[in-house]
Amino acid sequence: MSTLEVKDLHVSVVDDDDEAKGQEILKGVNLKMSTGEIHAIMGPNGTGKSTLSQAIMGNSAYKVTQGDVLLDGKSILDMPVDERARAGLFLAMQYPAEIAGVTNIEFMRAAINARRDENDQIPVMEFMKKLDDKQAILDMTDEMSERYLNEGFSGGEKKRNEILQLLMIEPKFAILDEIDSGLDIDALKVVSRGVNSMRGDNFGSLIITHYQRLLNYIIPDQVHVMMDGRIVKSGGPDLAKKLEDEGYAGLRDDLGLDVKLTDEI
Amino acid sequence: MRPSIKDDFMDDTIAFSKNHEEPLWFQKMREEALSHASELELPVFEKINYRGWRLDRPKDPFATATRDNNFDVPDTDNLLIQNGDQTLTNKLDPKLSEQGVIFTDIWTAMKEYPKLVQKYLLSTSIKPTDNRLVALNLALMNGGAFLYVPKNVKVDSSIQSIYLQDNNQKKDYVHHVLVVADQGSEVTYLENFLSQGDSADNIANIVVEVVACANSRVHFSALDQFGEHVSTYINRHGYVGDNARLDWAIGLMNDNQVVGDFGTDLRGEGSHSEAKVVAITTGEQVSGIDTKITNYGQHSIGHILQHGVILQSSSLTFNGVGHIVKGARGSDAQQESRVLMLSRTARGDANPILLIDENDVTAGHAASVGRVNEEQMYYLMSRGIDKPTAQRLVIRGFLSSVITEIPEKEVRVRLTNMIERKLINGQQK
Ligand SMILES: Nc1ncnc2c1ncn2[C@@H]1O[C@H](COP(=O)(O)OP(=O)(O)OP(=O)(O)O)[C@@H](O)[C@H]1O
Ligand SMILES: [Mg+2]
Repeated sequence: MSTLEVKDLHVSVVDDDDEAKGQEILKGVNLKMSTGEIHAIMGPNGTGKSTLSQAIMGNSAYKVTQGDVLLDGKSILDMPVDERARAGLFLAMQYPAEIAGVTNIEFMRAAINARRDENDQIPVMEFMKKLDDKQAILDMTDEMSERYLNEGFSGGEKKRNEILQLLMIEPKFAILDEIDSGLDIDALKVVSRGVNSMRGDNFGSLIITHYQRLLNYIIPDQVHVMMDGRIVKSGGPDLAKKLEDEGYAGLRDDLGLDVKLTDEI
Repeated sequence: MRPSIKDDFMDDTIAFSKNHEEPLWFQKMREEALSHASELELPVFEKINYRGWRLDRPKDPFATATRDNNFDVPDTDNLLIQNGDQTLTNKLDPKLSEQGVIFTDIWTAMKEYPKLVQKYLLSTSIKPTDNRLVALNLALMNGGAFLYVPKNVKVDSSIQSIYLQDNNQKKDYVHHVLVVADQGSEVTYLENFLSQGDSADNIANIVVEVVACANSRVHFSALDQFGEHVSTYINRHGYVGDNARLDWAIGLMNDNQVVGDFGTDLRGEGSHSEAKVVAITTGEQVSGIDTKITNYGQHSIGHILQHGVILQSSSLTFNGVGHIVKGARGSDAQQESRVLMLSRTARGDANPILLIDENDVTAGHAASVGRVNEEQMYYLMSRGIDKPTAQRLVIRGFLSSVITEIPEKEVRVRLTNMIERKLINGQQK
């Protein structure tokens, strides 16, 4: 079993012009999860959900000013992005990059081989077999894998492609940032099927979403609500349903928080 | 006063010419070129100062070549390997010889096919008086090749050459290649310049002429790998006749300073040229590349696409020139030059120049100098790919828009491997 722990995490956005001036976005996040578990994070726009996922992954645009992120009890804050990935972290991004000239296939092979010894690279047949299997789970065709990385992909295709990478790379912990946004109803089911195929003792996931619907397909063990850079409430799957009914303002008022929500007038 | 080039080399040139049993007309051409070289201008490369490279002051061009066979020999039926004036391998599919295809070193060609060589050598595509470095190339030529494809002969398999440039000793390299595709013929030619050794600092002066006669199709690929110990001038120039097409794919994978002048004259009506250039520079290397297509013929089409990657403290300048002369109605000149800089100390420049002297034409250009996209790097690295590998993927992606346009798979594969090697070397430095 592996664990991922976020401890009193404070994160600022790096200001290119003035490093001292970075605005604090995460204001003390605490979260602990183990493989075998699925956690969901919900919360209003602009509260820092993507920031949390980027800070865990090690995006240099975000600066940790206080607290720690621990993988199996060891801090990963000093590790560069690629090392964190090889240590077992995966981030399905809200906005995946497009790279012309590099095919999905060669990219995924490079990613898998990066985790293997130089003298033990994945044989082509084994790779292609695995790719076929995973594509089948996601109703994807070879045609997409042969295309350039995310180039010209529709929003939904990009999300599907993120999950294909997840299935190919098989990390310990996957953070899925709004993997459901922009998906049609059928695609939502397909993507959920993909994530569920990963479920097991060696896989944990942190799912960021705005819609309770996704959590009908991928049933979480825990649901956390984030507001203004903190986790303000945690609970079981019911919490998501309650939010869907009552909205964030209701929860905020229940908790007596002094937080301004973006869509309030 | 410094002794002139003429005084320095006249005796040696005549001796070398006699020694190689060159015809008298050619010996006279050499003498003429040598006599007048210093009166001619040096070629100008915008924003590049190569005065200190010694390109106009050659030394020891006629020293005997040493041997060093440290390279991969491609598996092909049509192959010429030359080390200076020595021919190491020369073979041609007998079926092609029977059809009249000629592919030999320049001296054999002058002996056996004097009329053909004399007709095209420095007469059609390039003139001996074009500039001082061309004149010196003619005067001091110490290696060369000739390829001729007769009328209406279509060569299916590629014709390949490897030209070894020797830095095991002090010997400046002066090489001349003449490619002639007669009317209605088709040919794919691939040349690979490759440096050997690193104990002497030399210069290389390369002049390559291509004549694509009416209705012919020539695909010309070049993979240049000049080493760290040689400063290079490369002039590749094409003449394109009526309805003929000449396509260039040039990979500049050199390790030292280079000025490259790649020109095409679209003389014929409906003539067409696509020029594709890929360059990678490393270390302290300075490279200046002028790619120019001139539309003379009506309805002629000239397209230039150049992509370059600059590592470390190297610098790369792409000048792209599309020139449509008066009278070339219905012509099209397009160009795109892009440069990617990988370090803070790298310097890149992309200068698009359009000279349009005719109204009824289409023309356009795009140019950019940029850095590696950090978002792309982050994305790749977030999948566990280490930084150098991620960089190479992004670079390969950047260069692919040129590479995928090269029709021969073999050239694409060789160029891709060369790029990978050059990048790995550059990243390790
Ligand atoms: N790179 C950045 N530069 C400047 N500000 C940023 C940057 N990244 C995030 N922010 C700011 O930090 C706050 C939190 O953003 P974040 O993307 O983490 O929110 P979120 O909870 O993921 O929102 P959403 O639900 O809309 O995706 C926002 O106010 C945002 O504008
Ligand atoms: Mg977000």
